[in-house]
Amino acid sequence: MLYRRAGIRHTSYRHERMLWPLPFDRYLVGTIAAFLIVAPFLIDRLYLVAYLLPWLIWSMAALGLNLLMGGAGQIHLGYGAVMAIGAYSSVHLVRAGVPFEIAMIAGGLASAMIGVIFGFAALRVKTLYLAMSTLAMQYIVDFVIAHVPAISGGTQATIQVPPVRFLGLRIEGDIATYYFALAVCTVVTLFMLNVHRTGFGRALAAVREKDYAAEVIGVSTFKYKLLAFWTSSFIGGVVGAVLVVCYLRSVSPDQFHIDLSVQIVAMVIVGGLGSVLGSFFGAALILFTPIVLNNLVASIAAGAGLSLSSDLRAHIPLMLYGALIVGFLVLEPLGLAKIYDNVRNYFLVWPFRYARK
Amino acid sequence: MTEGSASAVLECRDIELSFGGLRALKGLSFDIMPGEIFGLVGPNGSGKTSLVNVVTGFYRPQRGSVAIFGADTTRMRPHRIAAHGVARTFQNLALFRGMTVLDNILLGRHVHMGVGSGALATLFYWVWAARHEVAHRRAVEELIDFMQLQDIRDEPVEVIPLGLQKRVELARALAADPRLLILDEPMAGMNKEEKEYIARFILDAREERNTTVLMIEHHMDVVTSICDRVMVLSYGENIAQGKPLEAISEPRVIQAYLGERAAKRHVGAAA
Repeated sequence: MLYRRAGIRHTSYRHERMLWPLPFDRYLVGTIAAFLIVAPFLIDRLYLVAYLLPWLIWSMAALGLNLLMGGAGQIHLGYGAVMAIGAYSSVHLVRAGVPFEIAMIAGGLASAMIGVIFGFAALRVKTLYLAMSTLAMQYIVDFVIAHVPAISGGTQATIQVPPVRFLGLRIEGDIATYYFALAVCTVVTLFMLNVHRTGFGRALAAVREKDYAAEVIGVSTFKYKLLAFWTSSFIGGVVGAVLVVCYLRSVSPDQFHIDLSVQIVAMVIVGGLGSVLGSFFGAALILFTPIVLNNLVASIAAGAGLSLSSDLRAHIPLMLYGALIVGFLVLEPLGLAKIYDNVRNYFLVWPFRYARK
Repeated sequence: MTEGSASAVLECRDIELSFGGLRALKGLSFDIMPGEIFGLVGPNGSGKTSLVNVVTGFYRPQRGSVAIFGADTTRMRPHRIAAHGVARTFQNLALFRGMTVLDNILLGRHVHMGVGSGALATLFYWVWAARHEVAHRRAVEELIDFMQLQDIRDEPVEVIPLGLQKRVELARALAADPRLLILDEPMAGMNKEEKEYIARFILDAREERNTTVLMIEHHMDVVTSICDRVMVLSYGENIAQGKPLEAISEPRVIQAYLGERAAKRHVGAAA
C-alpha cells in the first residue's frame, strides 16, 4: 500500500542511486518541502518563530553531529562548544564589517580548525574515553569564551548581533530569518543525504565499523577521522552562526553550555544514529515534548479539577519526558527513524507480510 | 638473490619480528614473481599471518625489508601499501556490517576514488561525485558478474551465508584491481563445492586480471592443485620452499605437521 515498489525500473546506475526511488517517498518529501516553503503564510507567526524555526536550527545541529556520531562512530560531547566558536567568530566578524556570507563560512572554518584539534584525541582514544576528551573541550571552550573579554565581552556580557544581509537580502523580521534558516537547513540536509551514497560516507562507515579493514583497502583512518571532525565541526560552526543571527539575535556564553551539547547528543541518539530523518525526529521530540507535556498536564489538571502544587506541576512533565525517551529507546534502540522505517516496511509489502525482509 | 629480483612483485629480505621474547619470524627471505600463485603453509602458530601482517604494514619488523614492485614498503602504513596495489582478505572476515554487499565492494574501489570520496564532492554530488560513483559502479558491477553475486548485491552483508561473505570479501579485495592479492585462509570452514568456487575465482583472477596471489591455506588439496610455489613455515622459520608436492613431502615438513614419531612411521610406510 502507499509505498509501491512495483513497476519501478532502473535504467541507469544514477537512477538507481536516487535519493527517493519510491514515488510515494517523493510525494511525501515534496509535500513537506512545500509546506515548509508556504508555512509563513499559513501558520501563526508565533508557531513559526517559536516552533518551526528552532526545529530547523536544532535539526541542522543534530545533522552535523550525526555525521560524526552516526557516520564515523565518534562520540562528541562538546558540540555546543563547537557551535559557540562558530557563533562568536561570525558575530565578531560581522561587527567588524565583514559581509555575513563570508562571516558565516569563516565561523564554520574557525569551528572546524579548533574542532579538528580535539579530533586528534579521537586518534588515540575511543568510546567513553573520547566522550571524556570531548567533554573537556566543552569546558575549555566555555572557560576561554567566558574569561577572555575580547571574545565574550565579559562573563555576564551579551553581544548584540547587528543587522545582517545575505546575498543582498536583509535577514530581519520573522519571515526572512525563517527562509534563511530553511535554506541553510536544505543545504545541510542534502549534504547529509548525499553522504549516504558517496565514497566519503562509505569511507567514514568503514572507519566506524572496522578500522584495520578500512586501512587495508586504502582508507586512511587518520585522515578520515580528522575529516569527520573537520566536516562535522564546520557544520556546527555554521549552525552556530545561523542560531545567533536567526534565533537568539544576541550571543552570550551561557547559551552554549553543556546543556546544549547534551541536548543535541540526545537528539541524535533518540532520533537514530546515522539517520538524516532521525535527526529531524529527534530534534522535534527533544524540543517540543516538554512544551506539549507541560500543556497537557496543565489542561488535564484543570479539567479534572485537581489543584496540583506548582512544584508538582513543574516536575510531572519532566518525569514523563524522561520516561518517554527511555520508552522510545527500549521500544527501538535504533531510534525514532527506525520506528518510522518499521512502519514503512510494513506498508511496503502490505498485505503480503511474508514478503517482508 | 639478484636474479630477476628487479621484476619481483614482492621481495622480502631477512624479516625478523618478535613480540617481547617470542621470535615470531626468524629472518625470512623470499620473492614472489609476477603471475605466480604463491602458497604459504605451515602448522598453527608458525607465523603465516604475522608474515602477511608485516607485508601489509600492520606489523613493523624489527629487521629486514619488504619491497613491493621494487618500492620499499617496510615502514609504510597499511593504507599507503594498499595504494601500491596490494589488497588482502582476512582470516576472520572483515566486512563492514550494516552496509550492503554492493557498498562493501564499492569500498574496495576507494584507492581509485581520489577526490571523489571527499566532503566537497559529496556536497556537490550532482555535478561532481555522481560521475565518479557511476564510473566505479561499472567496475564493481563487472566484478559482481565475475564473482556471481548478482542476487545478493543489495543485501546487508551480515545476513548472507559465510561462504558468500568470504566471496564478497574476495570481491572487495579484487575491486581495488590489485597487482598483489593476499588471501588469508580464503577457504576456511568451506565445503568442497565452495572451495572449488573460490579456487576457480583465484585462477580466473590471475588469468583475467593479471593478479599475483599470495595465499595462506590449510587445505593441502587446494594448495597442491593451484599454487605454483609454496613456502612452508614452522616456528617462524622457512623449512621448505619450492613446488607444492615436493615441498610438502619433505621430511622436515612432515615432522613439523605430524611430530617426530609420526613422521618416522609415515616415512616408513611410504618406503
